[in-house]
Amino acid sequence: MNQTKTYSEQELVGLLQERNEKAFGYLYDNYSGAIFGIINAIVTDKDIANDVLQNVFINIWRKIDSYDTSKGRLFTWMLNIARNASIDEIRSKGFRNSQQNQSLNENVDVAGASSGPSVEDVGLKKVLSTLKSEWRVLVDMSYFQGYTHEEISKILNIPLGTVKTRIRSALSQLRTMIQP
Amino acid sequence: MNVQEYISSGIVESYVLGLTSEEERREFENMCNQHPEVLAARNAFEIALENQAMQNAITPSAEVKNKLFNEINATAKVISIADQAPVRKINWFKYAAAASVILLAGSLYFNFSLTEKNKKLNGEYNNTVAELNSIKKDVQVLTDKSEIKMASLKGTAVSPQSYTTVYWDSTSHDVYLLINNLPKPPSDKQYQLWAFLDGKPIDVGFISNEYFIKQNSLLVKAKSVQKVQAFAISLEKIGREDTSVPAGEVYVYGGL
Repeated sequence: MNQTKTYSEQELVGLLQERNEKAFGYLYDNYSGAIFGIINAIVTDKDIANDVLQNVFINIWRKIDSYDTSKGRLFTWMLNIARNASIDEIRSKGFRNSQQNQSLNENVDVAGASSGPSVEDVGLKKVLSTLKSEWRVLVDMSYFQGYTHEEISKILNIPLGTVKTRIRSALSQLRTMIQP
Repeated sequence: MNVQEYISSGIVESYVLGLTSEEERREFENMCNQHPEVLAARNAFEIALENQAMQNAITPSAEVKNKLFNEINATAKVISIADQAPVRKINWFKYAAAASVILLAGSLYFNFSLTEKNKKLNGEYNNTVAELNSIKKDVQVLTDKSEIKMASLKGTAVSPQSYTTVYWDSTSHDVYLLINNLPKPPSDKQYQLWAFLDGKPIDVGFISNEYFIKQNSLLVKAKSVQKVQAFAISLEKIGREDTSVPAGEVYVYGGL
């Protein structure tokens, strides 16, 4: 999937902010797969995931001026747009209705998230599955389902401080696992 | 907590994955500015995350790219129109100026025509009031006095549809004629009203042909007559020699 880069990140951002369609085409060709991977980890319906992907890239095109290089890499910025859009989607009424008959959906089933690795787990989710379960469920709810620490504390009946500490521990663990 | 402990606390990952609170986020950004090692840790995790995501990329439907670029081109057109705002503004002012001139001209014309219309209406109103006053006066003549006697003049065989009414004031001896229905006379003839006393006709005057054209009064005032038993109207040639006796055909006749 890795393509030969023809732009440095700085050049790419500059061109995107000038609304250069060629640069945007490059951005899409280069990153849509990775972004789609994260969308699919949250939104399990393929058709809906395609719609979310389209909206994510429209937002990238429209909001590129608000991207601040000092706050992180371009991909990180795009990844956060994708995660937020995906969580908005799974929390929307329409999505919930469409998922009503799919009881095996891991993403809306907290218990399912803690029941060990699934064959469909890819990417970050796969990494997540190697975490110990008490951490995994917290990261899953927090990152993939968008629950706040307060909500998780209430749902799982765990003190807020413990939720925060465990998520932090889980995430620092995650770093060592995905480090090249 | 020293910087190393801070870095390994999980804050780096929380920040990059967008899981920090506002306060934690600001604090982390300050730490990045102050401590290059925090920035380096952030950068390292970002690259690791990106690589990880790249390795687990899923190819989306090719349709998405087409839809995406259609949408962006549609948006780009909107933006390019908006970019021409200064030009559009000048045009707008031009049109606005032209529109206001047209409106002004229209308004002036409208005012003018209103004034004209007003003048015309005013004239019509005055005429109507004058007519009404004259009719009121006529009616007053008939209603104010109890001595008024009335004669209904019915159509003769010459003109059975004709019908007029004569009012005679027995004290002042004034005669008023109400023409209910009389054919319009030819231009060389005019009607003449007669009073009859003991079978003899008395001329009480001609009815002006103007009455049949303008028809702006209810009653026609005729000459006074001291005593009368009946009235008649005949159609006479204009300019005949002896107007003291009727010569033409009698149209209506009736007794008091």
